[in-house]
Amino acid sequence: MSSLEKNRADHKRYKEDVKKEGKPFFPYALFHDSLMQLVVVGVIIALSVIWKFTAQHEGGGTHPGLLGPLYTEKADPGTVSFVPRPDWYFYFLFYLLRIFKWPDSVILGTVGIPTLLLVIAIALPFVDRRRERHPLRRPVAMITAVLVIVAMGTLTWKGAVAKEPIASEAGALVPMWAQKQGFKGNADAEAGAKLFSQSGCLNCHVYTGAGGQNLGAPELTAEGAKGRGIDWQIKHLQCPSCVNAGSPMPSFKTLGADNLKKLATFLEASKGPK
Amino acid sequence: MSARKSPRQQQLEAALLYPVDWLDERTGLLGGLRYFLFRNVPRDTNWMQTLGAATLTAFLVQAITGVFLAMFYKPDPNSAYESIQHITNDVTFGWLVRGMHRWGASCFIILMFLHMGRVFLFGAYKYPRELTWIVGVLLLALGMIEGFTGYLLPWDETAYWATVVGINIQASGPFVGPFIGSILKGGAEIGPETLARFYSLHMLAIPGALIGLIGVHLYLVVRLGITSPPWSPVAAGRERDDEEAPPTGRVGLVSPAPRGSASQGVDE
Repeated sequence: MSSLEKNRADHKRYKEDVKKEGKPFFPYALFHDSLMQLVVVGVIIALSVIWKFTAQHEGGGTHPGLLGPLYTEKADPGTVSFVPRPDWYFYFLFYLLRIFKWPDSVILGTVGIPTLLLVIAIALPFVDRRRERHPLRRPVAMITAVLVIVAMGTLTWKGAVAKEPIASEAGALVPMWAQKQGFKGNADAEAGAKLFSQSGCLNCHVYTGAGGQNLGAPELTAEGAKGRGIDWQIKHLQCPSCVNAGSPMPSFKTLGADNLKKLATFLEASKGPK
Repeated sequence: MSARKSPRQQQLEAALLYPVDWLDERTGLLGGLRYFLFRNVPRDTNWMQTLGAATLTAFLVQAITGVFLAMFYKPDPNSAYESIQHITNDVTFGWLVRGMHRWGASCFIILMFLHMGRVFLFGAYKYPRELTWIVGVLLLALGMIEGFTGYLLPWDETAYWATVVGINIQASGPFVGPFIGSILKGGAEIGPETLARFYSLHMLAIPGALIGLIGVHLYLVVRLGITSPPWSPVAAGRERDDEEAPPTGRVGLVSPAPRGSASQGVDE
């Protein structure tokens, strides 16, 4: 018998068994389904109640309770002190971008891995064509599944506990940067450093050991040593993806020409500690 | 049966059933409903197999709460945030509806993953249920896109910057990436056009696709039947070639049971 014939025979036997030995969907299976449905609605309501009543007790919806604030401050495209954080079920992808680095492999993290996961999931029934259904007799499938779950769970967890640097703390680092990088006394560079610390740059970039590594952003400690020039830096800040195709970095045009020039001066003055 | 009924009772019964008969004569729905409700399922179904119904419930919660939110939400950068505040703080039970929509989304995603895990554990994606699995994967992907588009709508800082980066990541893709990115944005910057697009996708296009695919998914589930747990000694479709004797007393009790004595089959 070919495997297709075996499959067909299996399913035929399945249908006969269900007909002979099965139980009617109503009321038996439907009873369990309905209980489960009540549990789901109950959990959703409970989460909403906890969310609302723990977030509100100090007044104002932006106070985070047990389950986060009711809303954060109103979006203001002008402020760039942002934290690029998606909803929790994207954390595993979000954290993946700390592993892949701009510019060589970041596209693997942004597009490659999600697409690959989708293709593998869709192809699964055509790749795994064995008739065996018992988990203990499908060791490869089970081990792969456990690895995927552990990997996604770990990435989600790491994404959840990843800390973004706080702007006020970063601001205190500016004099140290000026000292280390040797741009002390260069007023524009110092002002740029202050902007750099306040504008959320450190949420993604690393600078002399401070900052996060989100979205595959490159380290900027020795950005000035690359010889790109102030004009390039300004252009890049205005529209990152125009200069670096595919860059996920947002535009910082709203800072204004003056500020961008200061930022660019600071970046160009960052030759890396001697 | 009806011999004992008075003519008056018979008349009343006919009058009550008339609308049902009328509907069934024209649609044939009653037969479908009867089939759906009274079709047999394997007698050894497991609690894990309620996860599909649970996922559907979470989706229905999203659909219903979404309708109410749409009555109060204003998809415009100047008033979106205020309308969310209004819903949360002023509208009667608005906080509950919004809370259920927000947390229902998370539950929907979690339940989709759990349901997928159950199907994988049971090997239930194999012949002849491959298409059910593929439709399920598409539902998962669409569900996550639904989450992404909904995340922007409150128009607060969290929502805005997550979307800026999300769209930039989308635009970094090869070939169609930049194209999709600019369609989502609707302009040079993320602004009113972006919000309108996300709103339309979030409450029309993607839910429509989800509902259609859920319909296909359920049709396939009913048509192909649900699997028995593969470790069950009485699994429907089990191989009997090398089976000398029934493994346990319980099977012996049930196996000769005639059709209809379903109460013996409920053995969870």
